[in-house]
Amino acid sequence: MLAVVTVYPIVRVIALSLERRVPIFGIADFVGLANYAFLARDGAFWGAIRVTALFTVASVAAELVLGVAAAVALRAQRRGVAISLSLLLLPWCLPGVVTGRIFEWIYHPSAGLMNRLVAVVASAQPNWLGDPRLALPAVIAADVWRTTPFIALLVYARLVGVPAAVYEAAAVDGAGRGATFWRITLPLLRPVLLVALLFRTLDAVRAFDLMFILTGGGPAGVTETLTLYAYHSLFQTLQLGFGSASAVVVGALVVALAWGHLAATGERDAV
Amino acid sequence: MSSLLRVMTARRVWAVVVLAALAVAGCAERRADEVRLVFRHSRMPGERDPLPALLREFERRHPGIVVAHEPLPWTADVQHQFYVINLEGRSAGFDVLMLDVIWTAEFARAGWLLDVTDRWPAAERREHFPSMVEAATLGDRLWAVPWVMNVGLLYFRADLLGRQGFAPPTSYASLAEQAAAVMHAAGEPRLAGFLWQGKQYEGLVVNVLEAMWGEGTDLVGRDGRLLPEPARAAAALAHRRALLTHGISPPLVTAADEELTRREFGAGRGVFLRNWPYARALFEAGGSPVAGRVGVAALPGGGALGGAHLAIHAGTRHPEAAWALVRHLASPAAQRAIADAVGLHPTRPALVDDAALRAIFAGARPRPVTPWYQTLSATLQPELSAAILGLKPAGQALADAERRLAYFLRP
Amino acid sequence: MRSSGLADALVLGGVTLYATPVVWQLATSLTASGDPADVMAGLSLAHYRAVLGASPMPRALANSVGIAAAVTLLAAALAAPAAYALARLPVAGRRLLLLGIVLSTALPTVATVAPLYLIVRALGLRDTWLAVILADTSFALPLSIWLVVGFIREIPRELEEAAAVDGAGRLAALRHVLLPVLAPGLAAASLLTFLFAWNEFLLAYTFTATEASRTAPVALALFPGVFETPWGDIAAASMLASLPPILLVLALRRHLVRGLLAGSLKE
Repeated sequence: MLAVVTVYPIVRVIALSLERRVPIFGIADFVGLANYAFLARDGAFWGAIRVTALFTVASVAAELVLGVAAAVALRAQRRGVAISLSLLLLPWCLPGVVTGRIFEWIYHPSAGLMNRLVAVVASAQPNWLGDPRLALPAVIAADVWRTTPFIALLVYARLVGVPAAVYEAAAVDGAGRGATFWRITLPLLRPVLLVALLFRTLDAVRAFDLMFILTGGGPAGVTETLTLYAYHSLFQTLQLGFGSASAVVVGALVVALAWGHLAATGERDAV
Repeated sequence: MSSLLRVMTARRVWAVVVLAALAVAGCAERRADEVRLVFRHSRMPGERDPLPALLREFERRHPGIVVAHEPLPWTADVQHQFYVINLEGRSAGFDVLMLDVIWTAEFARAGWLLDVTDRWPAAERREHFPSMVEAATLGDRLWAVPWVMNVGLLYFRADLLGRQGFAPPTSYASLAEQAAAVMHAAGEPRLAGFLWQGKQYEGLVVNVLEAMWGEGTDLVGRDGRLLPEPARAAAALAHRRALLTHGISPPLVTAADEELTRREFGAGRGVFLRNWPYARALFEAGGSPVAGRVGVAALPGGGALGGAHLAIHAGTRHPEAAWALVRHLASPAAQRAIADAVGLHPTRPALVDDAALRAIFAGARPRPVTPWYQTLSATLQPELSAAILGLKPAGQALADAERRLAYFLRP
Repeated sequence: MRSSGLADALVLGGVTLYATPVVWQLATSLTASGDPADVMAGLSLAHYRAVLGASPMPRALANSVGIAAAVTLLAAALAAPAAYALARLPVAGRRLLLLGIVLSTALPTVATVAPLYLIVRALGLRDTWLAVILADTSFALPLSIWLVVGFIREIPRELEEAAAVDGAGRLAALRHVLLPVLAPGLAAASLLTFLFAWNEFLLAYTFTATEASRTAPVALALFPGVFETPWGDIAAASMLASLPPILLVLALRRHLVRGLLAGSLKE
C-alpha cells in the first residue's frame, strides 16, 4: 500500500527520464540516456549545481553558528524561556511562500526595510533581488532566518540535558567562559550538530518555495538551484522527459547524501 | 375503509408522478432547444466592461442561445496553466476562449481548437491586419479569429527631441545617439535615455526580438531555422547591453517590466520608452507631468505583436453557435465598442482612425508563430538576461540558448 | 553571577528583534497605505477587509484547512498500522523497508511531481482536492511512519505482553494499552504532517488551476495585482495564511518539540 503511493512515482519518474515526452502534443518516445547525456553537457545544469552547493554550504554554516549561539543564549535565560522559544519558532513554522513574500517586501528597492535602513547610512539603493551579485546572498539570508530556530531548538534541548554539575566542576577548575564553551559544551553538542547538519543539508538541497517566490531563479539563473532547474525543465519548457531526468538527479543526490550520513554515523543499524 | 384510502392515495401518487414526468419532459424539450455557451476571457481593465452588453445583444439576435461568461485568473502564466490543465481533459467546460496570440499555435497543435478555415470567408479575413491572421495560422489552417491587438510602440518626449531638432529615430543606433545628445543637453542626472523592459520574463524576449528586427535579422528564419544570422543577432543583443554600460539606459531596466518603465517615463524621467499602446492614455491623462509632450512612433524594424484571439474549443457541443458568438464578438461594431470602453485596440485597419497609428499597427510583427513558443521563450529568457546583465557575452548567450533549443525541439 | 534579569531581558530582546521581519509584515498589513512606517499614524483593517472580502484568499484558506486535515487524518490512519507492523511484527525485509522509508523522506517534491502530474491527468483529478491530498500523503507517509516507528520502539514490549497476559486480544491490547501511550507521539507526527500539508507549495501549485482547489500558499504566491503590487493586501494575506500554523505550533509546542527531537535524537 505504501509501495503504491510512494514507490510507484519514483519508478515512473525514472521511466519518464528515459523518454522524450511532451504531453500536450502527445509526444512520447523512448530515448534512452539521451536526456542524461544532455544534462551532463548543459551549462545551466552545472550552474544549478554550483548555486545549490553555494547555497547549501553558506546557509548551513550560518545556521549552525547562529543556532548554537541562540541556544546558548537561551540557556542563560532564567525566566520567560517559553516566550522566547515560542517567538523563536515563529519564523520556522511559516509557510515558505509567506517567508518569500515577507522578504520580497523587505528587499523592495525603494520601500523595503533593508533599503530604508541602508538609506540612513548610505546613498545607494541596492536592488537586492535584481542585482546578480546580491540576489543569492539575499536568498541565503532569508533561508538562514527561517531555519536557524530549528537548530537553536535542537541544540537547546540537548543543552538542557547537561547537568549543572558539569559546568560547576569546570568553574571550580578555573575554566573561563570561552574554554568552557569550546572544551565542554561543543563536544557535548557534537551528536546533535551532526544530526542538524544532515537535516539542514538535505533541506537546503531541497529548497524550492523560497527562491521560487523571491527570484524565480533569476536574475539570469544566479539563484537557480537544482530544484528550480528541474522545475523549469519540467513545466516551463514542457519537456516532461528531460525535466524528469533532472528531477531524478536531484532525488538521487539527496538520497545519496542521506545514505552517506547514515553510513557515516553508523545509524544505519539503528534503523 | 383503509383500503379505499389506500387506493385513493395510490391514485394521487400516480397522478403526481405522471404530471411530474410530463413537466420534466416539457422542461427537457425546452432545454434541448436552448443552447448554453460558456465564454472564458481575461478580465477587462478599467471600470467599463463592454462584454455584458455585447453578450446580451448576441442573445437577442440569437434566441435560444444563452451565453455565460467567466473571467480567467489574473496573470498570463496562470491563465496558460489553467487552460492547459482544463483543455487536456475531454470536457473543458467552456466553448469559446480568449487566447493570448502567442498561445494559439501551441493550442492548435495540441488539438484543442476548432479549425475555422472553412467557416471564415477569405474576404473577411482580409479585413484584419495580416499579422493577427498570421498568428492564428498553423499548417495553412486557421484556428482563431483576431479580437484585440497590441503592438510595441516607441514613445518619445517630443519637446526634448524638438529642442535638438531631432525627428524620431529610424534605427536603434541613432536612437542611442539622440538619447545621449538629449541627456547631455538636459543635464539632469535622473533623466534616462531609453527605457525598455529587461527583466527576465516574456517582455525581455519581446524587447530583444524588436532589437533583432531593428538590426535587420530575426530570431527564427523564414524556413523555421533558429538564428539564421547569429552574428547579427548577437550584435543586436550586445547593443542592448551597451545601452546599459554607456548609461543610456539606467540599471533599473534590467529588472523592469512595462509598469515600472511606464511610471518612470510618465514622471518625466525618460527620453525614449518602448511600451504597449495602453500607456498612451495614461500619459495624456489629467495631472500627468508629460501630458501633451509625448510623441509616438514606430519602433525601428517594427514592433512586436500582442493582443488576443478568440477560438472555439474543439470539443464543443455547439460549434455553430460558438462560431456565431465568435463572429459577433469580433465584428467591427463589437471591436469598436471594446476600443471605446477599455482602450483595447481593434484588429481591423478600417477601425483605426489615426492614420499614423494605423501604419504602425500595420507594421506589427508576430513573435515566432510556433507551437513551441513557450519552450522557446522559457529557454531564451535566462540567457538573454545573462547577456543584458553582462554575465555572458551576447554571442555565447545565444549559442547556449540555441544548443538547448536544438535538443528540445529536434523533430 | 550577572543579574539574571538583565540576561533575560537581553535574550528576550534579541529574540524579539529576530522576529522583526514578521513584525514588519504585520505592520504593513495594518496600515492603510501599505507603508509600515505609517503605523504610528494609526492602524487600519482595510487590507484585511479587502483580502477577506474580495480576494481568493478565503476560499484558499478553506481549501487549505480541508486538504491539510484530510492529509493528516489519512497519513495518521495509514502510518499507525504500518508503523506498528514494522516495529513489532516480524515482517520480511523489515530492515530494508525501513531503510527505504527513511531514505525516501529525503526526496524533494520536485522529484516525483512529473509522474504524479501524469497520474492526476489520467484520472481526471486535475483541479480537485483529491489530487493534492493524494500527492501530499505520498510525501507525508514515509516521515510519519518513521516517526511513529521510533515512538513505538520507545514503548517497552512488556506493556503489550502484560495486557495480553491479562487476557486481552492483540487488537484490544493495541487499543487500550498502546494507543494511549502512543497518543502524544502520534500527535507530534500529526502536527508535523499538518504543517507539511499546509505549507506545501509545489504540488498544490502544479495540480490546481482555479480557486476551487487552490491552497493558501498558492493563492498567496499568485496574489492578484493587475498593475501595482498590493503590498498591504499581500501582507494581510500572508498573516492569514500563517495563522493556523502559528496557532497550532504555539498551542502544541511541546508535542512539536517532541516530534522534532524524536526524529533527530535517537538515544
